[in-house]
Amino acid sequence: MNNRIIAFVLGVVGLSATVLAQTSPLPLPPPVEKELAARASNVTEVTLGKNMLAFASKFMNGKDEDEAATRKLIDGLDGIYVRDYEFDKEGQFSMDEIEQLRKYFETSEWTSIVHERERKSGETTDVMVKLVNGESHGMFVLTVEPKELTIVLILGPIKMEDLGKLHNIGGLSALNEVAKMPGVKDKEKTKDKTKVKTGDNE
Amino acid sequence: MAHDWQPDFEQLVDEHQSMVFSLAARMTGDRGLAEEIAQDVFLELDRNLGKMESAAHVSFWLRRVAMSRSADAMRRRRVRCTDMWIEIEEGHGATTEDKDSPMGARLEQLLATLPEPQRAALILRYQEDLTPEEIAATLDAPLATVKSQLQRGLKLLRHKAQSHLKEYLRVKEQANEA
Amino acid sequence: MKLEPIDDFERDLRQSLERRPAPPGLKRKVMERRSWLRTQRLQSRSVIWQRLAASVVLAGALCGGWMWHERQEQRKGEEARREVLTALRITGHALNEMKAQLAAHHSPNQE
Repeated sequence: MNNRIIAFVLGVVGLSATVLAQTSPLPLPPPVEKELAARASNVTEVTLGKNMLAFASKFMNGKDEDEAATRKLIDGLDGIYVRDYEFDKEGQFSMDEIEQLRKYFETSEWTSIVHERERKSGETTDVMVKLVNGESHGMFVLTVEPKELTIVLILGPIKMEDLGKLHNIGGLSALNEVAKMPGVKDKEKTKDKTKVKTGDNE
Repeated sequence: MAHDWQPDFEQLVDEHQSMVFSLAARMTGDRGLAEEIAQDVFLELDRNLGKMESAAHVSFWLRRVAMSRSADAMRRRRVRCTDMWIEIEEGHGATTEDKDSPMGARLEQLLATLPEPQRAALILRYQEDLTPEEIAATLDAPLATVKSQLQRGLKLLRHKAQSHLKEYLRVKEQANEA
Repeated sequence: MKLEPIDDFERDLRQSLERRPAPPGLKRKVMERRSWLRTQRLQSRSVIWQRLAASVVLAGALCGGWMWHERQEQRKGEEARREVLTALRITGHALNEMKAQLAAHHSPNQE
């Protein structure tokens, strides 16, 4: 009798976890983030699931060009996960910790398109895209400077050119360049072909 | 109140309780029931006091409600006309006049045996001294009907009196001889 | 208006139908019941007013609660909006950094 109860409870917990996982595609924070945050002098952490993005979209000013573009951008997204850690001095984190971070987010669905390492300065850049059936369904950016570490994870159907249209948010125009990168460009071409075959899944 | 007349309830009870009680008692033939009806009539008056425009209006209203409630009570309960006869025999509620005038008591008893509509018309005619028009207004009945009830009721009562009140005839003869 | 009876019979009938005195306790009973009923009516009115007041308070509380909820929703919405813009700003900064690193890595000087 007791075994049945335990099995039932475990089943419910497992099912709940599965349901939760399905409804919230954003990953849980990796353990190393907690340690980095503890050492950082300035921490910015933003986690917005699909529902929260939809909620926020209602409060965007439709008359403002950028906010209207932002609303259009986030309307179809599944989530945004952003971390920015600033440190007082250099050497507050190790390359091992950076590698742990990258591996945590790099699952089989992700394709690395930028992987730069500067040993002297310790600066690194990683950009990955998630392609599902040839379509872009996520973007991951990890940039590391001597005193700053930034993680950006955007999940959902995302068009780089839409992000690049947000003129007043500096830097996003660089996404146009990301879109042109060989890895992404080739995959985009493949995507166009498969789109014709499979139809519009959006 | 929409008018200037400011009635005092307690005073109205003092003034009209005899009338209301008598109407109910003669209609139902039941003293206890008549007392209940009288209480209900006055409490209803209290609820409607603001609508009373004059003393005459109060009198009219009390008669009307007393007769109506008496009729309702008789519909609800089976009242035997002989009940009143028993009360009179025992001297309960019998007035001094009744004790001195057995004919009056007998007439009252015979009145209780009349059909209700005729009884009502006669009571209002001979207890309250109302005209047929006033009786018609009180009972909310056509004038022709009221006149008919008065005529037939009086005729029937006379017949009953002649048939059953030998004493009545004897006294009358003695009075005529005197 | 008193109508004179036509004959002796009617005169006797009228005499027999003179009004009877009401039972001695009738007036007292009427006044007691009247007093009791008035108290009952006042209490009922009081209960009605109390219920009405309670309803007004409840409606006010619900309205206040709803308004508070609406303000909270507005605040949360604004906060979510700010977070989105913050996230995009940080994204822009990261991409700028990426661009700079790429530029530095692939500059002719490096080669």
